[in-house]
Amino acid sequence: MSISPSRRWELVDCIARRTVSAGACRPTLGGVLGELTVKPLTGIPTALAVLYAFWSVFGSFAGALVTDGFMVRIFDGYWLPWMQAVWPDPGSVHYFLFVGDPAAETCFEAFGMLTSGLFVSFGVVLPAILVFYLMMTLLEDSGYLPRLAVLMDTLLHKIGLHGYAIVPAILGLGCNVPAVTATRTLETKKQRFIMMTLLALFIPCGAQLGIMLQAVPDTVGWVLLYLLIGFVVFGFALSRVIPGSNPEILIDVPPYRWPQRTNVAKKLWNKTRGFLTNAVPFVMLGILIVNVLYLTGFIGWLADLAAPLFVTWFGVPKETVGPLLAAFLRKDLAVAQLSTIPMTPYQMITAVVLISIYFPCVATFAMMVREGPRQLLAAMGVLAVVVIIYGGLIHAVGILLGVA
Amino acid sequence: MKTCGRGAEIFATALGVVAMACGAANILVWAGLYDGIEIGILAIGGTDFFRWVWGSLVVAFGGVMMLSGARNMHTVSSYGKVLLGTVMVWIVAVTDILALICESIPAGDEPQFFNSAAGFIGAFAPPYPPAVVLLPFTLAIACFLYAGRGLTKADEETGQAGDANHF
Repeated sequence: MSISPSRRWELVDCIARRTVSAGACRPTLGGVLGELTVKPLTGIPTALAVLYAFWSVFGSFAGALVTDGFMVRIFDGYWLPWMQAVWPDPGSVHYFLFVGDPAAETCFEAFGMLTSGLFVSFGVVLPAILVFYLMMTLLEDSGYLPRLAVLMDTLLHKIGLHGYAIVPAILGLGCNVPAVTATRTLETKKQRFIMMTLLALFIPCGAQLGIMLQAVPDTVGWVLLYLLIGFVVFGFALSRVIPGSNPEILIDVPPYRWPQRTNVAKKLWNKTRGFLTNAVPFVMLGILIVNVLYLTGFIGWLADLAAPLFVTWFGVPKETVGPLLAAFLRKDLAVAQLSTIPMTPYQMITAVVLISIYFPCVATFAMMVREGPRQLLAAMGVLAVVVIIYGGLIHAVGILLGVA
Repeated sequence: MKTCGRGAEIFATALGVVAMACGAANILVWAGLYDGIEIGILAIGGTDFFRWVWGSLVVAFGGVMMLSGARNMHTVSSYGKVLLGTVMVWIVAVTDILALICESIPAGDEPQFFNSAAGFIGAFAPPYPPAVVLLPFTLAIACFLYAGRGLTKADEETGQAGDANHF
């Protein structure tokens, strides 16, 4: 026997009336604060403040202190000159693969496995990931994340999702791999498909954000704005096109709690270990493969082939084909590579947006394969259409503004 | 809370007005309607879009929140609003100070890795953004919380707990 949702709620009300008795309740400060952070009028400014803290700590600690303050100096001032001095035969293939450009003055420019590879992994991305996951864990353990889910529920329903979709969305800002796994918490196939597609397209990972702040800091705001607009517009379109339901859910909001130090440390260690074991080898391998492709002339050939699409339709130099290939392995690596190509600021914004949306990195791709080949194929189809449309639109906006 | 009720309300109102005005002024300066302003140790203006505009917006909202709760601050719901507004100002102030600390630990262009003690301390010289100037004043709001807690306990012990909506 099946009953309609409205009949079910009537039954719930009926049972509640007979079994639940209510007494006087003395509101506590914690309870009041909890309520204020889920009401839109007070909750949205609070969310703005929390996100401000999130990104401010991220930029100050990972960017200004660790990367700019120490890592850039260590890698560019000591490590790179030392590698260039001790590695034999600067004209050889092995020098190109492992050390990179012999005339490079920074690790971004060198693009060798042991120069750029180590710098990107440990000098830029590791501190960024560490701070990101620390902040994320604090939000999660304090009880703020479920409140953010309640707050975002109405907005996310407009794009075919519900409030808890904010969890994979925020997780994706750290790494898209656990974010794809987190889409399993969504109720319907439609929701999971929309979230997975939007993750692959419009959510830049922490590694990419870290490298963007380091390599192309002036464009980060614009890139994020374009990605946010894309997230909302294409999410809205997908929710209209994809068949399926978007049911309401009940969210259990826990009281605010002080995060436990041991829990935070454990979560932080597990997530950082995941990065060290999964991402670092990909960065190294990515540089090696891209360098081999450069050496064999494949990237030059591909750049010539794709030049009409890149130059005419997207408005970016054909040299961006190389970074786009690298982006399949690691997006952070691709942004680092882009930063060394001479471009106008608007071309740089377009190129970084394209890096973000053109294809998920290989680790995310592998996770999407595990979620089902049909979903993956459909997501790839949507992805290809969105890249062509959105890439062209960004170029068109640039032409209209006179900056492209 | 009754012992500091009226005074606390006036204090929270004043703090809310100042926070809202400073936040709004910062946004107006960013929008190009005014030039940067410097009054004593307070500086309105900036260069970093993120800290300047987003941070100012948070401070302004914090001020509005304080104002909305200042009228009946002796009730827990209004006090919650004032406290939340205060926390928003704290967030901006503490992260601004953290940014200063993080930027002044490395030596920058100097040959050594770490900044000298004089260089480090010099980085904290005024002028300061509004949230940092407001920080010591907003701490008083937290003091009201402890004053309120003390009163509640005393009331409960003597059986004089007031309205359920009160501390």
